[in-house]
Amino acid sequence: MTEKLLSIHELTKSIGSIMPVKGISFELKRGGCTALLGPNGAGKTTTLRMLAGLIPPTRGEIRYGSGDGHTDSWRHRIGYLPQYPKFYSWMSGMEYLSFSAKLSGLSGKEALRRSREVIEMVGLQQAAKRRISGYSGGMKQRLGIAQALVHEPELIMLDEPVSALDPIGRREVMDLLDRLRGEVTVLFSTHVLHDAEEICDDMILMVDGEIAEKGALSELRTKYRQPVLSIDVEPGEREVAWLDSLANRPYVQEIELGKRGAKLMVTDMEVARAALIQELADGGIELLRFEAGTSTLEDMFMKVVGS
Amino acid sequence: MKPFWIYYQKEMLESGRTYKWIWVPAVFLLLGIMQPVSTYYLPEILTMAGEVPPEAAALFTVPSAESVMASALSQFSVIGLLVLVLAGMNTVAGERATGTAELVLARSVSTIPMMAAKWAAMMTLVAASFALGLGGAAYYTHLLIGPLEWGAVASGGGLYVVWLAWIVTLALPLGAVLRGPAAAFISLAVAGALSLLSGLLPSRLQWNPGRLSSMAAERIVGEGSSVWSPIIVAILLMVLSIIVAARLLRRSPLSPQS
Repeated sequence: MTEKLLSIHELTKSIGSIMPVKGISFELKRGGCTALLGPNGAGKTTTLRMLAGLIPPTRGEIRYGSGDGHTDSWRHRIGYLPQYPKFYSWMSGMEYLSFSAKLSGLSGKEALRRSREVIEMVGLQQAAKRRISGYSGGMKQRLGIAQALVHEPELIMLDEPVSALDPIGRREVMDLLDRLRGEVTVLFSTHVLHDAEEICDDMILMVDGEIAEKGALSELRTKYRQPVLSIDVEPGEREVAWLDSLANRPYVQEIELGKRGAKLMVTDMEVARAALIQELADGGIELLRFEAGTSTLEDMFMKVVGS
Repeated sequence: MKPFWIYYQKEMLESGRTYKWIWVPAVFLLLGIMQPVSTYYLPEILTMAGEVPPEAAALFTVPSAESVMASALSQFSVIGLLVLVLAGMNTVAGERATGTAELVLARSVSTIPMMAAKWAAMMTLVAASFALGLGGAAYYTHLLIGPLEWGAVASGGGLYVVWLAWIVTLALPLGAVLRGPAAAFISLAVAGALSLLSGLLPSRLQWNPGRLSSMAAERIVGEGSSVWSPIIVAILLMVLSIIVAARLLRRSPLSPQS
């Protein structure tokens, strides 16, 4: 199961003087789900477009399969959903799917059978015969996923599949992706860490065209786990002064000051907790909340993206 | 060959659903019929208008059937050509501007069958509409004005289709780099310039494809010489257009603004 499906090496794209993707390398395992994470403008879309063979890379290598599969011969084994999928609005959903399937080399009969299957899978059977011009945004997104799956690809690449959807549509798409796990290899881009954590095993974090961090989610969670203390206090002069003074304690590694509270990354939870509770009691600080926990990937994400 | 048919069916379905198969043939039919009918009734129309003395109207002689057909062709080369170019301008430019090309190109190994199918679908529309228009014009001319030599009309019509075809084809490569209206304007401007050139310097530039429209008219009147070079140049131009358009589309599948 750990067979490599896709490996890219030093992939670079420059457009004029700007360089949206600056030499990234990673691998995808067959059957896995990988999230390509990053803020807007990190180069996620450009990377996916290169992988889908829509734009040629300036430098670097894309290799499908374990051998030397080239993009062209792999086109029929990739499903691709762009960020804003646009369809022929004069076609019906069903017609569009079977047109796409035929383009990817399915016979007419096979195309029709698969189209029916996937249209049911994404829950569009009611609207199958209606023109796409009358579809809502969520329906179009689901049709987009259906067209990415219709030719039974080995790898599907989805560019921001849930960003434009309302909470219910988002839920449906996430459930759909979750069901697909294991059957197909999924690579999807998102700027929401929560989506990635929900269904993926691996993630690649891109910032400014470079890979800032990558690996299995569970490993990353362990790697970035750090004791964190959150303190909220009543608004007051004494309290604020006390919060400001926290930065120079020896056990405080980092501090994030808010209006009425602070978040402390500490080196040793035991020491920090004991010392701080003592101080709170001695100083008569009006405490609202005191919470000991560990940092999440979200904190790591914010830190890497912010810096 | 198979991708070509898939695209061709799609293009034909598109021009049907967007009513191109209704309004383009309708315009051509109307243009074709109007010429012989208005020529035939011109004396009556003039008398009814009342400002022309009946003697002057009587002096008006109905032109020969052949020259009526030739002037019908000149109708097609103004409004007919405009209609065709407007109908065809968005076949490539529209796909880039709306972004539908992105999904389709992710599936296509080569863009040549796609372009060839777009071209073939456009040609089907051009040929069918023109045949209808020319047929209408010939029928009414025959009925109202006089007998025609069908062979000459057919071969003149054939020449004329080639002239329409190469101009409409220009919209493919232009549409792969420009927006639809700009592509349409440039194709028309090129057609106008080449026609003008053939009118100004008839002895030079024998190969000029802009000559085809006047050659077609001469053929119908019955005095045309048979020169193959403009036809060959027009065909080469079309093949070149398809290849260039396919290359350009692969290089920039999306409009910058999308």
